Parts: sequence; structure tokens; C-alpha cells
Amino acid sequence: MVGVTEMTNWAVDLIDVRKTYGRSVHALRGVNIQVGAGEIFGLLGPNGAGKTTLVKIMMTVVRPTRAHGTILGRPIGHRGKLAVTGYLPESHRFPGYLSGGQLLEYYASLAKVPRELRRKRAPQLLDRVGLSRWSNTRIDKYSKGMLQRLGIAQALMNDPELVVLDEPTDGLDPVGRRDVRELLLELRSQGKTIFLNSHLLSELEMVCDRVTILVDGLVARQGTLRELTDHTVEYKIVFNGEVASVREKLVAMGIKLEPGVATITGHNLAQVNEAIDLLRGNGIVIESVSPHRFSLEDILVEAMGVDAKAGGDHSAMIQPASP
Amino acid sequence: MQFWALVRDSFRESLDRKIFWVMLFVSLVVAGAMFCISFEPHEISVLFGTWVIKTDVLTVGDRLRKDFIALIVVDGIMDTMLGWVGVILSLIATAGFFPSLMRRGTVDVMLSKPIARWQLFLGKYFGSMAFVAVHATIFVVLTFLVCGIRWGVWLPGYLLSIPLIVILFSYLYCISVLVAIPTRSSVAAVLVTLGAWVCFAGIQVTDDQFASSPSWQQYRSAYAVSRVARWIVPKTSDITLKAKQWARAASSSDLIVQQDFDSDGSVDRAMKIERRRMAIPAVYTIGSSLVFETVVVLIAIRLFSRRDY
Repeated sequence: MVGVTEMTNWAVDLIDVRKTYGRSVHALRGVNIQVGAGEIFGLLGPNGAGKTTLVKIMMTVVRPTRAHGTILGRPIGHRGKLAVTGYLPESHRFPGYLSGGQLLEYYASLAKVPRELRRKRAPQLLDRVGLSRWSNTRIDKYSKGMLQRLGIAQALMNDPELVVLDEPTDGLDPVGRRDVRELLLELRSQGKTIFLNSHLLSELEMVCDRVTILVDGLVARQGTLRELTDHTVEYKIVFNGEVASVREKLVAMGIKLEPGVATITGHNLAQVNEAIDLLRGNGIVIESVSPHRFSLEDILVEAMGVDAKAGGDHSAMIQPASP
Repeated sequence: MQFWALVRDSFRESLDRKIFWVMLFVSLVVAGAMFCISFEPHEISVLFGTWVIKTDVLTVGDRLRKDFIALIVVDGIMDTMLGWVGVILSLIATAGFFPSLMRRGTVDVMLSKPIARWQLFLGKYFGSMAFVAVHATIFVVLTFLVCGIRWGVWLPGYLLSIPLIVILFSYLYCISVLVAIPTRSSVAAVLVTLGAWVCFAGIQVTDDQFASSPSWQQYRSAYAVSRVARWIVPKTSDITLKAKQWARAASSSDLIVQQDFDSDGSVDRAMKIERRRMAIPAVYTIGSSLVFETVVVLIAIRLFSRRDY
């Protein structure tokens, strides 16, 4: 059942979103997500976490078992707001008998874009995604990467306020992925809200303002990348020299010692400087001092690990970070 | 805007399917074959004189000649080619429209647009009708022109078969769509629809037999059931009969129907059945069948709208 909440400043405000298939498959078990207007938001999680189901509920492709909240200020499922929402699903299939230009024209018609605007925007968007030379070519002749670019173009034909992209860089080469990242940043600079669902964690790290990690139908972590990784900060001091004379003191400070590396966990600069002073005072040469944070992949694995301890079963593979 | 975009897309989809061109080819072949035949005084010429069939039955200007030609067009070409072959090919051609719409990756994008699911359904549904209407128009107009120009017999009532064939198709297509939505199978849709068509014809035949039987009162209960069943199901045979009746209206070929070539009871009974069916008002035939179609379409819309994709 969809309920109406108070109007908020969130572009997407999902409250207690649930979806049960049949009687026993609980795809979403009470998800709460807030996406600020004009930000790039990332949704990640292992396979089967419910990410695609959540995205489909937002786009009215799937009906929720229960959901409260708003999207662009209107209740979830409000069809009118779809006119200002762009969507690219995962594993999209476009009619092969259409050309690229015809496809943009067709979907824009369904999105109620006036004819003059359709004719103006289609060539602009095809050019933006690098497909202007193939606008009159049948889609069944397109490569996977070209189809992905076309899909992004069709999601933007109605100049949406909210753009929902499910695996937007799927099938793209590194140059293509870079182009998409630049496009997303450009859209954000125009004030659009971007909702990304992706397995490519390195891509999300590069563009997202905030992320949510979904595990087994529930939100495991949510916040900015800094907020999620603050507790994981550590400083590594690489040194050259014998530490036998100061080993006891360093260990007593809680510093982890390995050959040539001292690791200080936590954002404690005073302790870092004290360790440096101690090492230098004993003639040890400091080669480098560098902060480290968990990557998004590390956070995801940590979230899954914590959930596994709580009783979840996560044997799914996680997409490794791309080189 | 959205509705016409869907209809236009359905038509583009049909153009991409080979069966569209097969049907167009069949229309051209039939019209071409008709063009190769001519009815001359005392003979029928095939392939511009390659074969000649001598006969004194047909004489230029004779009303019997025109009625004979009308019989060929109405019973042979319209009934067989349009009413049977054309409808079956159309069902095959359109059976895949809804399964392809509902494919994962396609339906997601469609449903994310600001269009209600019932509007999406009707856009695709009437898009299929447009496909059949185009083919029916091409076939009927071509054969009508050949009949008039080449054979000298103009049957303006024959043109009314275009909307009637589209209506006939729609009575069957609604079943195809109703099956296609839960199964997502065009094969299942075609097979069940053809089976249903046979059932509808069987119900009408059964009802006619009861009605024309002198001893129908012995089967009062069964007759009552057949009457109710006949009211409920679409009257596919009656629609075809109406099309033939209207096509013949410009000719006097009714004479052929009324002539008793022998006094065998079976011929009397057959003509009694046909007269009874021809006397049924078109409004009843079409209207009651549209009620069936409306109910089926509403069920199909509900199934389409309520499911998750």
C-alpha cells in the first residue's frame, strides 16, 4: 500500500519500502533511503540484495507490498512524475527494427515531449553520447556499447529532474565509462538528481556524493563516502631502520608494527606525530606517511560480513574494482 | 500523442516481420491470378488464353454470369482467402506483439513512461487492428478492382467486408492477447485462439442443428444450453455470413441460394439454417460479440496492469 508523507526537500524519500513475492520471498524488508536534490546517489549491494527491485518500485514497474514516501514530491507510484524522470534499466532491450533516432523519438513521445523539442533534442543527445553518425542505422546493428549509450540518451530525452540508471556503464570500454562519468557530473551541475545502481564500485567512488549499501533487502550502510569510511582511516608510516629499541613503546601506543611499516588506526594525528618523533629520535629514517581509508568495496564486504554474522548468507561474487 | 506513437510502433514492428510481406505477396498473387482469368462469351480463359474452358452457361450480359462471378468472389475469395486464410495469418502475425512488449528490458522502459498501463495495452491492441485493417484493405480493394475492371462485375457491398473482417479478427485476437499475457507465448496464444474458434463454430453449428430439427423439443435442455452458449460466444460464422450477404446485395446471387435443385430434405434444412442466420440482425450479431470481446479485453487489461515485471 502506498502512503503519502509530508512534503520533504528530498528528491527521493523512500520510507519502509517492502516487497514480498509469493509468501516467502522477501526482496525488500523495510528500506529507508533519502536522496537529496541535485546529488549523485549510489545504490550498491551483492546480487539478490533487492537493488533492482527497489529501482523498479521507484519506476512503477513493480508494485510494492508496502511503501511510503515521495519521489520528486509526489507519492511513490505517481505516474505524472514519470514525465520528469529518466530511466535506463539493466539488460534493456530496444526494438531492433527502429533506428537510433526513431527510438529516441518514440520514447520521447511516450514521455509526452512535444514534437518540436523531440526533434531538437534527439540529434543533440545522439551527438552527446557519440552516436550521431548512427542515428539512421537500425538498432539491431548496434554494438553493446552503442546500445548502452543510446539507452542513456533515451533516459535524457524528456530533460528529467531525476535520472535513474541501472548499471549505466555495462558494456562500455574505459573511454566510454569515462564519458559516462563526465556526463553524470555534467547533469549534476545542471541540478539534476542522479540515482545510480551499479556493481562497479570504483565508478561509484568516483562520482557519488552519497551511497546506500543494501544487503538482503535492508539498508546496511548509508551516507557520504567520508561518513562511511571515517571509522576505517589508518595511517601507514614507511620507515627504514631497526625498531627494536622502540618496539615496546610503539606497541604500547597501539601501533601495529610490520617490517618497515607502522600502522596507526584511527584519525589521530597527535599519535601519528608522536610515533614519527619516536622513530626519528632513534635514528630511523621515515620514507613516507600516508593516510588510508577503506574503499567502497571494503565497506561493502564489511557490511556483508556483519550481516553474515547476523545470520545472512552471502556467497555472491562482488564485482572487483576495475584497473 | 502517446496512443498514436504506440499504434505507429506496432505497425513498424509488423513491417519488420516477414509475415507482413508474405500476406502482401498472397494478396498480390490472388489479385494477379484473378487478373489472368477472364469470362468470355462461351468460354472461360485462363492465363490470357493459354487454357480455355468452353461453356455455354455463361454469356456476356447474362445475369447468371454476374451471379456466378459474385459467387466466386464472395464464397471463394472473400470467405476462404480473407475469412479463413487471412484471419489465421493475421493471428499468427500479431500473436507475438504482446509477448515482445512484455519482455524483460523492454517492458521496464515502457512502464517507466507517464502512460497508464491500460493505455499502453490499448495502444498495442489497436496497433494490431491497424495491421489487419491495412492488409484487409489491400486485399479487398485489389480484388474488387480486378473483379470490376477485368470481369465487369462491380460489387460495392464487397468493400464492407473490410470492417467486418477486422471485427471478426478482433473477436479472436482478444483471446490471443488474453492467453499471451500470462503465458508470454505467441505459440500458446495462436493454438488456444484457433481452438476457441473451432469451439465457437461448433456451438453455432450445434445451435443451428437444434433450431432446424423438427424434433428439437426432445432435446429441450441441450437446445437451451446451446442457445445461451451461442449468445455468449462471438458469432464468427455469422459475421462471415453477413459479409457475404452484403457483398451479394449488389447482385442477384440470392437466386442461387433460393433455387431447389432437388427435394432432398438435407438441402431444405441447410437452406432453412442459412435463411435463419441471414435473418439475424447485424446489430445483434456484432453487438453481442462485442460484449464478449469487451469482457475479455477488460480481463486482459486487468492481468496486464496488475502484474509485476
